[in-house]
Amino acid sequence: MFDKKLLEILVCPVSKAKLDYVAEKNELICYASGLAYPIRDDIPVMLEDEARQITVEEKEARKKR
Amino acid sequence: MSDNKPSDGSATTHFGYKQVPVESKHKHVAGVFHSVASKYDMMNDLMSLGTHRVLKQYLLELSSVRKGQKVLDLAGGTGDITKLLSKNVGPEGKVMLCDINDSMLSVGRDRLLDDGFAGNIHYVQANGEVLPFEDGFFDCVTIGYGIRNFTDKSKALIELLRVLRPGGRLLILEFSKPQTEFVSKAYDLYAKSWPIVGKLVAGDSESYQYLNESIRMHPDQDTFKTMMEDAGFEKVEYFNLLGGVSAIHRGFKF
Repeated sequence: MFDKKLLEILVCPVSKAKLDYVAEKNELICYASGLAYPIRDDIPVMLEDEARQITVEEKEARKKR
Repeated sequence: MSDNKPSDGSATTHFGYKQVPVESKHKHVAGVFHSVASKYDMMNDLMSLGTHRVLKQYLLELSSVRKGQKVLDLAGGTGDITKLLSKNVGPEGKVMLCDINDSMLSVGRDRLLDDGFAGNIHYVQANGEVLPFEDGFFDCVTIGYGIRNFTDKSKALIELLRVLRPGGRLLILEFSKPQTEFVSKAYDLYAKSWPIVGKLVAGDSESYQYLNESIRMHPDQDTFKTMMEDAGFEKVEYFNLLGGVSAIHRGFKF
């Protein structure tokens, strides 16, 4: 299980903005930098090299919420 | 120091005695630590004849970390320092064990859990030069035998200053420059055995050859003190250990 208390502490290493935890994908998303960080073996991987660029749809979906 | 210049595409930095492109140093270092992770603790005990434990305990004393505080153990690898910190900060405090290398981090977590350490420890894979933490979050940051592997040490020091609160402190334990000719000679002779021991025990001599070389390439006590001051740390001082074979640098953010 990902330790949700970490969400209060972690920010995006690139933008330093707060992150959203997306349970279905098991990722931490930063909408400011457009990067999604994987969580592997319950450990968040906060490396730009390992992050995924989020899609336009994902950004739009966030706006609608 | 060649490793403190910005990357311009052709820039190189040292990886032990070799020169490698700045962009790829972290991959070379990662290779070393993926290779040594499972035997890392045993090799540390062997090569340092157990002294690394005493030095880590001393680091803790110099940190004056108290109950309820928040501490970042950066490049914390297999978690020796985290273990000590976890006891000191108690259940109200937090220790963030952070390493760029996933192999070291999983060995560290498994070991800490096996030894019954949980609750106040969090694990994060991150790069010390671009940390995923808010400004002013930590009371203390420790780095034990990690800083010499960083690609851009000055950049990391500035980032560490950022994540410390005013009054917070940084403690760096690292191999350093022996202070007398005798210690230097004896140490050189002794360190020559490491790649051989590495080959015998861990089946890997190259990683321990890198260890030898990286120690010699690391800035000496005064140079590193200046680097900390240049990054913005105040009241910077260092404590020589084992005749300068290792040293602890401490600096404050005010």
